[in-house]
Amino acid sequence: MGCALILKNKKLLLDVCLPSRIEAITELSLKVQEALSSRPDLAFSANLCLDELITNTINYGLKGDTDRFIRVRLSISDNWLEIIIKDDAPAFDPFCDAPAPDLDAELEDRPIGGLGVHLVKTMMDDVRAYFDGSGNLIALLKAVNDPAPAP
Amino acid sequence: MSFTYALDHLEPNRAHIVRLSGRLDSTTSLAFEKSLLELLANTGARLLLDLTQLDYISSAGLRVVLVAAKRSKQAQGHLVLFGLQPMVREVFEISGFLKILRTTSSLEQALATLDQA
Repeated sequence: MGCALILKNKKLLLDVCLPSRIEAITELSLKVQEALSSRPDLAFSANLCLDELITNTINYGLKGDTDRFIRVRLSISDNWLEIIIKDDAPAFDPFCDAPAPDLDAELEDRPIGGLGVHLVKTMMDDVRAYFDGSGNLIALLKAVNDPAPAP
Repeated sequence: MSFTYALDHLEPNRAHIVRLSGRLDSTTSLAFEKSLLELLANTGARLLLDLTQLDYISSAGLRVVLVAAKRSKQAQGHLVLFGLQPMVREVFEISGFLKILRTTSSLEQALATLDQA
């Protein structure tokens, strides 16, 4: 990543408040597919990352509380897809705490679990999370060759 | 339905096929894991997973596949996956699963792989 990352001609594609239920992730995925209909590959990557991170937020950050809300914003600029996930959970960093999976282990030795965050880190070009005082903000960036046309 | 599966039996090839369809994610994978492991226990020596209609898989879905593959191997069975869509294949690749699971493009190749095992 260069020093000054500038998002040019940023267009907001999606801005939703999800109830903190796992089922809401499936509903979100349909909206993301619609917002990125010209780039189904980007929609897949975005949906996978949203799925993994929001599931973590619900299960660990919010301890399974289903009465909360998680905000998701999806934007595209000339060269970047930007995904923002914001919760009001206590501070936790999904990217710090997860150990990396052993990708070279034999079938018998692969532990069951630990893949979600690895998938996000690999499919996105930049990932960061911080507690902003009111909750955790997760920002994901993926380089795109040609952005989706304006909705 | 967000996820469905169907079971087929290829009599001449002595193989069972589970055909997956839709999204294998945290809402759908728990129930499917239970069913798949039961299938493995009852019929599982030569099992193919048809992923041609699987549009999406998350780490929860990968978990089910891994558990099934381990169980199959422990029982000296054979499990081959075929027809992975491009983005699904990419997820398998990133996870290192292509190194530890047998995958092919077509049913014919999957059957050939079973016969060579």
